[in-house]
Amino acid sequence: MPKHIARLLILVAVLAVAAIAAKKFFTDKSYYMYGNYRGNSVAEIASDVPRFRGNEYCKSCHTKQYAEWSNSPHNSPGIGKHVKCEVCHGPVGQHPSNLPAPLHFDDRIAIAEGIAPPSQEQPSPDGKLPVPKDMTKCVQCHEAMPGRPLVQRQVVIAAHAGTEQCIACHNPHSPKINFAAMLQPPRGDTIAGKAAAAACGACHGVAGASVNPAWPNLAGQHAGYLINSLKAFKSGTRTNAMMSAMVAGLSDTDMQNVAAYFAQANCKTSGGDKAKIDLGKTKATSCALCHGASGISDNPAWPNLAGQNADYLSNTLKSFQNGNRNHPVMTSVAKTLSALDVDNLTAYYASASCK
Amino acid sequence: MSNQDTNVGEDASDLSRRSFLRIFGISATCAGALVSAGNLIAKGQVAEPATDPPPKIPDYDWNKHKWAFGVDATRCIGCLRCVEACKAENGVAQDAHHFRTWVERYVYLEGEDKPHIDSQDDPQNIAASGSEKEFRFDNRYKDARVEKAFFVPKLCNHCTHPSCVEVCPTGATYQTKDGVVLIDHSYCIGCEYCVQACPYGVREFNHVLGVTDKCTWCYHRITKGLLPACVEVCPVEARVFGDRNDPQSPISLFIRNNRVEVLKPETGNAPNVFYVGIDKEVS
Repeated sequence: MPKHIARLLILVAVLAVAAIAAKKFFTDKSYYMYGNYRGNSVAEIASDVPRFRGNEYCKSCHTKQYAEWSNSPHNSPGIGKHVKCEVCHGPVGQHPSNLPAPLHFDDRIAIAEGIAPPSQEQPSPDGKLPVPKDMTKCVQCHEAMPGRPLVQRQVVIAAHAGTEQCIACHNPHSPKINFAAMLQPPRGDTIAGKAAAAACGACHGVAGASVNPAWPNLAGQHAGYLINSLKAFKSGTRTNAMMSAMVAGLSDTDMQNVAAYFAQANCKTSGGDKAKIDLGKTKATSCALCHGASGISDNPAWPNLAGQNADYLSNTLKSFQNGNRNHPVMTSVAKTLSALDVDNLTAYYASASCK
Repeated sequence: MSNQDTNVGEDASDLSRRSFLRIFGISATCAGALVSAGNLIAKGQVAEPATDPPPKIPDYDWNKHKWAFGVDATRCIGCLRCVEACKAENGVAQDAHHFRTWVERYVYLEGEDKPHIDSQDDPQNIAASGSEKEFRFDNRYKDARVEKAFFVPKLCNHCTHPSCVEVCPTGATYQTKDGVVLIDHSYCIGCEYCVQACPYGVREFNHVLGVTDKCTWCYHRITKGLLPACVEVCPVEARVFGDRNDPQSPISLFIRNNRVEVLKPETGNAPNVFYVGIDKEVS
């Protein structure tokens, strides 16, 4: 065999041996273990530490919040409504400690290769989870949006609450408002209230039946609403030349007493234009959610409308419309009403029985 | 004269070239046989798949599970909790361009045949969310005359016949025995063949590591008896996950009690994500 051919053969043999050795040396031991891949990578990927840890973990400390939530519509898994703790508060991670989370598998690879870890998780400095106070979390599910199934509770934010935050009325752990369970305002003294109410009688009537239809009847009104109104006049959030002056001298106790007196007084239905009652009744369905189907509100903080003077009601709606009076819900509701609607509605409520 | 000389010279070299090629051919064939024999030996030594123990995952045997996923699009409210949970759980880049799972919106306006389709990387949605780091649906159809609209969550289908695994040149992506398609990031060279091979466009590129990334059905969670993060946080139970080997698991009940369909069945990939309530335009 010529010399150069022999050399070539030796070279080929050396290369072949080198190739086999290199393949044996560089291929991971676990490659081909289960197939054409590195078998150990399965356990490596499975070794990542979960960030979301589930309700049971939260329950062990936050028993009160868990109890509120567990009986609420936000915990109704049977009908596909299951808003668990971490849906709003984010992943538990290492909470309550402020230690950084164990590295992701990818982060470990990055560090081994000298790259900054891709996830760059920042532990919360005090170990606390976010407690959203504004509406950002609520609207992610509850803002009215085409495409959301109709069974999902949705609201047009501006019409539902204006700029008011959801937690002003709703407890996110138990969002359904339970009016019966709401705290009743402290009971005032009706005897002392009657004496203090003498000054009110000149306009609102000694028995709470107003002498002028432009002024409200107070008899039978919720004490809570009356107290809130008096406080609003005192703080200046509501203004009225007469009322602002009248409340200046009233203490909190005076307000409770006066409110208690008028709340227990016998109300009188003022009556309205009979031709408009039926039209008003149809329109009143949108008021019924808060003010009650018959104009008697379930919530002591919201006024009864039944039997109230039509002129007063109509002035009130107009002042919501023109911005003289402001309320997160009423301002936007009033703006949806035409002048004709206002006439019909007030006639309906004025004629509704206040008993 | 010179012509003939050249011919003679060529004849002489022809002979030696022929013998050279013959010897070289034989030796190359032998070397090739040697290499493949070596391979076979190497394989024979390590392989024996029947007796290999399953991967060392505590309290978990991948031979006992067959995972599958269900999506009830009629329940999805497009809140995107799943998308954010996935990012937090898996350390996916916090921007509007990298997703292992995402949600699409299909809106049919009155008098139009074709739907308007958008998702988080839609520029208008990014603009509405205020920054490149967030992902929200812009409520752009609230005043439009909408005939029909719905949301469709999307994620890796963990196909029974995954085309991404078929094309991977390094064996970085593979299918586990329990039916999950994973990527070994230390073997991925970032060639993105798999990204092109996937008919569903579910693979994304991790620009920090220079590797392809994908949904793992939270393999680190399901092997510990937990649900994938997106299923865990879905507030309306639009996402369902479970073991098809267990006839009472949520996914077995989901498939049994609904008429389910898969995306693009014509590809032959045989997806393992089963949909309810999607429309003809969804693919």
